[in-house]
Amino acid sequence: MKDTPLSNCERDFLLKAIEEKKRLDGRQTYDYRKMKITFGTDYGCCFVDLGKTRVMAQVSGELVAPKENRPNEGIMFFNIELSPMASPAFEQGRQSELSVKLNRQLERCLRNSKCIDTESLCVVSGEKVWQIRVDVHMLNHDGNLMDAASIAAITALCHFRRPDVGIQGDEVTVYTPEERDPIPLSIYHMPVSVSFSFFQQGTYLLVDPCEREERVMDGLLMIAMNKHREICSIQSSGGIMLLKEQVMRCSKIASVKVSEITELISKALENDKRARKAGGRCGFAESMPQERITALKMDKTSVEMTDVSDRANDIVQKSEAPPQTVPSPVVPIPGVGQVGQGLQNTWGLEDDEEEENGEEQDEKITEMEEEQHEKEESRGGDVVEISDSEEEEVVILHPETPDKTPKNTGSSFHQKMAATSKKRQKK
Amino acid sequence: MGNVVQRQTRGALRFEVCGNMAGLELLSDQGYRLDGRKASELRKVQARMGVFAQADGSAYLEQGNTKALAVVYGPHEVRGLRSRIRHDRAVINCQYSMATFSTAERKRRPHGDRKSTEMSLHLKQTFEAAVMTQLYPRSQIDIYVKILQSDGGNYSVCVNAATLAVIDAGIPMRDYVCACTVGFVDETPLTDLCHAEESGGVSSLALALLPRGGQIALLQMDARLHQDHLESLIEAAMTACKGVSKVLDEVVRQHLQEVSVLSGE
Amino acid sequence: MAADMRLPTIQKPLSLSVSDFDRKDLVVPGDVITSDTGFMRGHGTYVDEDKLTASVAGEVQRVDKLICVRPLKTRFNGEVGDVVVGRITEVQQKRWKVETNSRLDSVLLLSSVNLPGGELRRRSAEDELTMREYLQEGDLISAEVQSVFTDGALSLHTRSLKYGKLGQGVLVQLSPSLIKRQKTHFHNLPCGASIILGNNGFVWLYPTPEQQDEEAGGFYTSLEPVGLSDREVISRLRNCLLALAAHKVLLFDTSVLYCYESSVHHQVKDILKPEVMEEIVMLTQQKLLDQEG
Repeated sequence: MKDTPLSNCERDFLLKAIEEKKRLDGRQTYDYRKMKITFGTDYGCCFVDLGKTRVMAQVSGELVAPKENRPNEGIMFFNIELSPMASPAFEQGRQSELSVKLNRQLERCLRNSKCIDTESLCVVSGEKVWQIRVDVHMLNHDGNLMDAASIAAITALCHFRRPDVGIQGDEVTVYTPEERDPIPLSIYHMPVSVSFSFFQQGTYLLVDPCEREERVMDGLLMIAMNKHREICSIQSSGGIMLLKEQVMRCSKIASVKVSEITELISKALENDKRARKAGGRCGFAESMPQERITALKMDKTSVEMTDVSDRANDIVQKSEAPPQTVPSPVVPIPGVGQVGQGLQNTWGLEDDEEEENGEEQDEKITEMEEEQHEKEESRGGDVVEISDSEEEEVVILHPETPDKTPKNTGSSFHQKMAATSKKRQKK
Repeated sequence: MGNVVQRQTRGALRFEVCGNMAGLELLSDQGYRLDGRKASELRKVQARMGVFAQADGSAYLEQGNTKALAVVYGPHEVRGLRSRIRHDRAVINCQYSMATFSTAERKRRPHGDRKSTEMSLHLKQTFEAAVMTQLYPRSQIDIYVKILQSDGGNYSVCVNAATLAVIDAGIPMRDYVCACTVGFVDETPLTDLCHAEESGGVSSLALALLPRGGQIALLQMDARLHQDHLESLIEAAMTACKGVSKVLDEVVRQHLQEVSVLSGE
Repeated sequence: MAADMRLPTIQKPLSLSVSDFDRKDLVVPGDVITSDTGFMRGHGTYVDEDKLTASVAGEVQRVDKLICVRPLKTRFNGEVGDVVVGRITEVQQKRWKVETNSRLDSVLLLSSVNLPGGELRRRSAEDELTMREYLQEGDLISAEVQSVFTDGALSLHTRSLKYGKLGQGVLVQLSPSLIKRQKTHFHNLPCGASIILGNNGFVWLYPTPEQQDEEAGGFYTSLEPVGLSDREVISRLRNCLLALAAHKVLLFDTSVLYCYESSVHHQVKDILKPEVMEEIVMLTQQKLLDQEG
């Protein structure tokens, strides 16, 4: 089925919004959507959520004969499957342009950068080597498939354990997990892809485009990097003209994003390891009842319950005494009555603040960029949070939490408190 | 001129001998490369336009030992899939192929494998950026490129050859599109990689440039490179592309002269 | 069968005088033609940062304030009144699609053809059904450009007895830029054959009909066998056309005729040999110059 075209109204609206530095989901220009990394029961199975985009990667290994020209190297095989389940625009069977593009980019990102030690996958030189196969399935398409796929693939590779092999003379024995612990792959570095979309002939730039944004964009630039700030692959696509300065700027943004994502991945892996050691419920068994397989699922909202009373006391003590004035009816214009002095409305405050922030950033966007990255980096610490004690292998990234300047208002004070208390808890 | 050719053959021969041997010295202490070039030296570029009578535009281009033929048909009515018709611009259809005898190892190359599909895709993308497609609504431009001999930098040679073919066909373009591959060895960017260097594990960057405005129509990089080196590498690639554009410019002007003299004006 | 073999010879490089190299009116894509904003942008140019820039390789033509760049070789850009020779590619409702070497297929409407017998009336549904009987896929026609659509496609008509379906003859496809624009593109050459020099670069060679059949209305085609002498003349003309095209000589009735006359000493098949070709074209050009001077 061919994709239904975007209506002109929507297109104009999106472009206009982008011109005004606004995005549909309220993100800032350089923000990622909420990212979530989950693991299946098996080793080497990983789900990645990037907003509504959902991707599954499964790694499998088998013993095969090596390629003739590389007798003592294991074989890596990557495949991205675009099933029509993710979007009706994807056709089954036929190799579409998009699928070729994604597949090649993933290969370049993970194979050509030599992030996996293929020589360690050799069992008997020239006869038996491990073939590691990474299958990435798109479960739901809401834009930026490449980033989600690359994160899923590298996380799954890190998570994967291959059976141990013993060699006695000519005999090769593959041990079951019960006999010997399976061993992880040796991974040198973790390349992560970051996508930038360009609008209006490259005038505007967004990180992590969603599906709607992808439809109106002029072109895409994908940069794969690892946390050592080494670029593993760059690929521009779409008919856009880039300038050198833009590429350099993107590479700088990418390095910040990659370090954030890498941290998230390692945290997720760590959590999973802990959960497995503790023998808790993990993987599919746990994800089924929670409907985590599909993209439209309900997340539990985490509420801090441990030190509620302490904090309440804290707030009560620290807050200013309420104004002593007695509310009396005020009549601004004949026929209208009002009680109270019209104190500042704390409900709408958040929005106002955000707008202010946004405007400020608009003005200073050029000078502030550098600072912003640094800020983002420094914020990295409290970006990753453990949402629930039950879902230990789940890590949620909230990069879009607006960095508010604390004001003496009740609501923002509250947030600050919450953040600090969480930090404390982590330590 | 003869001198250059000799050097190239020597390079090719040596490669046959060494194969994929690791630790091949790509840049000697004296600053010379495998085929005797300096780090920022391009291979010899030779080209001819109008090599086929049947096509609307055609060109043959040699860059060192890499040789390519490019043919352009169009703009013409969209044939085949009617759904491809764009009402505001022409669609560009590219096809990249390699001759069976183009590499050291003779190999049947099935049509439509991942790598050649990707290459076709990249060519299409490059020319969509440069050709003024909005002038030809509802039509189609076909660009067919064939590599006759492959010695590294296939993508760039294809782009350069196709540029000449498009110009020969009289299709409006914003500017020339020139492409070049650049590698990075011992903190030095090497321009215009040959096959031996490409397979020697160098991180390589292919760049297609519209030289006048310095706009990048396509950027592609493989293998690891520290972020700090990116700028110098892109810079080197852009300089190389500008070098290529000078050669192409000469070829086009020469061709223009010849044809206009013939037509007796 | 005797094979004709020749040794490779070095082609003489064209002698280009210094003045030719300095011609300012030849531009390549991306060349700035003028940064003066007082000029109008024509075909083959675009405006980049207030500078008029060439987008094709060719020669600059200026008409008053309008600047165009004419590429050396391009597809046919039809104008109203051009004579074209084309091939039917598709029969659609109320129209035929005609391939005319332009960037989109041209359209020949059912209402812009003469009905057999020259009858003048509204086209009925019945006529629509019998369209394929008049012209079907693969048929060659001669026609005139009636109008140009906004997307550049041409609308043709054959409402004159000289246009219509082409019968027996030879089609030669050349570059449109080689055809010289003239008052008439239909010629009965004295050598015994007729020629239609389509503006789109398609040239039709056919035996001169004995009498103009008024009743045919452009759809009757004679299937009488053509005599050997006629066929030989046509073949010779075809090879002459190819020779002239190879040397980029403008084609019109006189140049074709002179070329034919210069080629009579050679056998028809020999005309395409490079050295013979060169000789014939040289002679033709000489004759053309003599005639001019």
